[in-house]
Amino acid sequence: MDGGKVTVGRTAALYAGAAVLRLAIFTLLPDLPDLLTGRVEVSTPVTSFKRCLFLYNHNVSPYDGGVYHQAPLFLLLFSLLPNALSYPIFTYLLYIAIDLLSAGALWKIADSGEAGSSALFSSPRRERRWSGFVIAAIFLFNPFTIATCLGRSTSVFTTCAILHAIAKAVSGAPFSAMVALSFASYLSMYPLLLLPPLLLLCFDRQRPERAKKSILSFAATHVPVVFGVLGLLFGMSYLITGSWEFLPSTYGVQLTLSDLTPNVGLWWYFFIEMFDSFRSFFLAVFWLHLSCYVGGLSVRIRRQPLVVLTLLLGIFAIFKPYPSISDTSLFLAMVPLYRHVFPLMRYSFVIAAVIMYASFLGPAFYYLWIYAGSGNANFFYAITLVWGLGLSLLVCDLMFAVLRDEWELERPEMAGKEIRQI
Amino acid sequence: MRQLFSFVLLSLVSLSSFFVSASAAAADYHEQLVLRPLPLSALLASFNFRSNTSLSEFEAHNFRFFPRSLGQILQHAGTQELHLRFSLGRWDSESWGARPWDGAREGGTGVELWAWLQAATDEEADHKWLTLTNALSGLFCASLNFIDGTRTTRPVMSFQPEGDHLNTTAVDTHLLYGVLPHEVVCTENLTPFLKLLPCKGKAGIATLLDGHKLFDASWQSMAIDVRPICPAGGECVLQIELTIDMVLDIDRSKRPRDNPIPRPPPGHELPCNTSKPYHSHDTCFPTDHQANQDWTLSQIFGRTMKGTCPLTDPTVPPVCLQVPNSRSVYHSDGVLEKKNLDRVSRCFEIKPDVNFEIVLPTPDDESAVLVKPETPLLYAERSFTGHGQERGGVQTILRNPSPDTEVEFIYMESLPWFMRVYLHTMSARLQGQSAKDDALIKEVYYRPAVDRARGTQLEVRMRVPPASTVFLTYDFEKSILRYTEYPPDANRGFDVAAAVITILSPAAYNLRTTSLLCSLPTPDFSMPYNVIIFTSTAIALAFGGMFNILVRRFVAADEGPEVGLAVLKKRIKERVGALVEKIKKDKGQKIPYEARNKSGKANDSGVETEVIKE
Repeated sequence: MDGGKVTVGRTAALYAGAAVLRLAIFTLLPDLPDLLTGRVEVSTPVTSFKRCLFLYNHNVSPYDGGVYHQAPLFLLLFSLLPNALSYPIFTYLLYIAIDLLSAGALWKIADSGEAGSSALFSSPRRERRWSGFVIAAIFLFNPFTIATCLGRSTSVFTTCAILHAIAKAVSGAPFSAMVALSFASYLSMYPLLLLPPLLLLCFDRQRPERAKKSILSFAATHVPVVFGVLGLLFGMSYLITGSWEFLPSTYGVQLTLSDLTPNVGLWWYFFIEMFDSFRSFFLAVFWLHLSCYVGGLSVRIRRQPLVVLTLLLGIFAIFKPYPSISDTSLFLAMVPLYRHVFPLMRYSFVIAAVIMYASFLGPAFYYLWIYAGSGNANFFYAITLVWGLGLSLLVCDLMFAVLRDEWELERPEMAGKEIRQI
Repeated sequence: MRQLFSFVLLSLVSLSSFFVSASAAAADYHEQLVLRPLPLSALLASFNFRSNTSLSEFEAHNFRFFPRSLGQILQHAGTQELHLRFSLGRWDSESWGARPWDGAREGGTGVELWAWLQAATDEEADHKWLTLTNALSGLFCASLNFIDGTRTTRPVMSFQPEGDHLNTTAVDTHLLYGVLPHEVVCTENLTPFLKLLPCKGKAGIATLLDGHKLFDASWQSMAIDVRPICPAGGECVLQIELTIDMVLDIDRSKRPRDNPIPRPPPGHELPCNTSKPYHSHDTCFPTDHQANQDWTLSQIFGRTMKGTCPLTDPTVPPVCLQVPNSRSVYHSDGVLEKKNLDRVSRCFEIKPDVNFEIVLPTPDDESAVLVKPETPLLYAERSFTGHGQERGGVQTILRNPSPDTEVEFIYMESLPWFMRVYLHTMSARLQGQSAKDDALIKEVYYRPAVDRARGTQLEVRMRVPPASTVFLTYDFEKSILRYTEYPPDANRGFDVAAAVITILSPAAYNLRTTSLLCSLPTPDFSMPYNVIIFTSTAIALAFGGMFNILVRRFVAADEGPEVGLAVLKKRIKERVGALVEKIKKDKGQKIPYEARNKSGKANDSGVETEVIKE
């Protein structure tokens, strides 16, 4: 666990192990993928694989209906694959490959050492870190990641794109980072909020030979890239579907939350019970709340943009309109990068206990509500509240640990002492 | 004198108008009641009222037999052909056989409406449809105004116009179909129905229509059909046909009015099937097929028929009875019984002022009691599969009883938007085979639902081979609604309209499945405030926690301002002490009332500034 030499053999063994584990579950338990596809914790209306299987070839535009809320390029992707119902193996292989690609990107991020020492800040504790091998292994063998892969949620594509955007940013390829972020935003919309910290990260990690001095001119050259690629993707979608009606059906649903299928987030039950006259007001408030963290965190933790990205991914996993355990698995994949500040965290046990408690009780309470009929909607709602509180405790605690780590650079004598905030 | 004159004039006018209408009525209006005893002590009564008016007279607002109230609505909404159905109950085709009118005059449970509207664009058609449903809603005291966009579809294959549409093209004629499965049909719908008739239920067969009996039926369907008919070489006429079909339970009808609670008959009165091997003195397999076939018209309808409607075409016999000719039937005086050549039906010609009554005694010949019901072309049953409130499936079992003819038909469903149908799961398979058979489905038209705007429309052209059963299945997901979108009885479930099956070959025939009850997951209706408060608290906790960490400074535990119980105590003491001081000081400065009055305004303001300074 000390970042020792990673041989090619170990790398291959890790990837092969992860792939074989997934393939084994796919083939030995053929009912499990379909079961997970139907779980509300894994599949949301905007990431469900079952909704993707919607017949594209019935001369019906999938956007002329209330079932399909995903980007048009998924339709192209799944129509290029052999029929997922008769030859599921190709879909399985695609999802396994995507997981391995994400792990590869995460490996690069970990090996760059950006988490411990960025351009403007070097943690005194940076030597205590896990190698890319360990971090990739934690991601690949995280039960949440495995469940997402088995459930074939399309959010794995977003995860992959976000991780690649960050990996490209830390390796000094801002253009590729912007393209990857555009893909992520095109697929799920919310990653667009990651643009400011990602720009900062790219700016900090530019290659010295062609570095720009001013952040403004850097942004002026790279923000148009994002919007240009997004425009290109929208144009391609228009060509595929032949109309613009995919826009309200894909992004409008996330903005207006017209589909109230339960999920692990806080929005669905709130907007089921919301009075009609206040619905639009609270939608605006919830979106404002989701986006208000971007500016504050980017300014306050300017010296470590990767921390901002990690914290934002955690916040999105709690507060976005249709979160699933896939978003949590992305956040939990980034957290081990901060191995060096773990000793500064105060509530590790409580957080672990709450997350385990919610993970086990959530499916049970959902069953009681929907199938057994012995519980009502409040049971599952209560568990989503606990889940959200547990994750927000993790985000807060990580934020506290990182900030204290920064502070201890100024006050090295305070390491290990009692502190408080005023 | 003047009164007498006006009376004479009035009677003259009415008399003359009566003659005019009577002569015109010969071709323009007729009514007929067909009674057909069915197995299991049931009796089918089919009332049919039909009248014509020429299109030119209709357009000139010249209404004679055509009801003015309905005519004006049709003209205002640009309706060319209209079909309205109010139905209740289930036609038991296993025992009752083929449906009356080949199923063309019945609807699914609740209210069904389809019409061909003349409009240049879809929007105009929608607008006219809205006008039509709202006007009909008022006319028939039904909730037809709830047929909104989510319950309206535009069938592509299922419905064909019954009338002749000459001067219109397919482009500007729009077919719209709306259905309200939740609507409970009752007496308030019958009263406006009777008012559309020329004799208003005061004479003729309509006098037998009593709400207590009609809505006590095992199955009943009220239908209104308006269609233009253009005979070859003749002038086009607009035909209105009002039909009421009901299956009455003879057993229940004969129950005495003062003692209507059903009780099991004593053991020795049970008619038993003695041919069963297990028949003995303490076991009985009931034979009620032949039981209770003795009845009278007044027992069944609660009253006798009051003469005939004077406007009706005298050549059409008002009442027909479909029993074998060998069965003896007694009738009241002034009635002429005519046995038809087909040996299974007879008609009665009735004088205008006779109270008509027929009596069917207990038949002597057990074998010739009933006309054997015709076998329908297709049996259809639809049900939900699966459990839980998250997802489910629909299974329709379609059975072709014919040994040698294949049946081809169109199966149409209009489903509510909150059932999310997954069309890729739709499959048809033959009974006894586990694999699906794609050759059974010939054509699919599918229009998916849009949340809160449009329902799912599914039309499948398929076939059932001779003497076989086909299972048509598909899966759906139940969505959860906003709490204001649930009805007050949310846990009862939501009604899903009947599937409409239109048989194309070997003969035209319609049937409908029963409607279904779909239960959706429900939120807790009692706690919107609690949910808003809890969620907001969770968000505030997360935001507050992060905000705190971000904006506050780090210091060592022993640096910075102290906090703690001792400090708090000290601070409170200081504050209280200062307050006491201040009060004491105020008392010391208190000036007698007169003195302050004398010192005037300047002094007053001086005191004020001092207080503020403190």
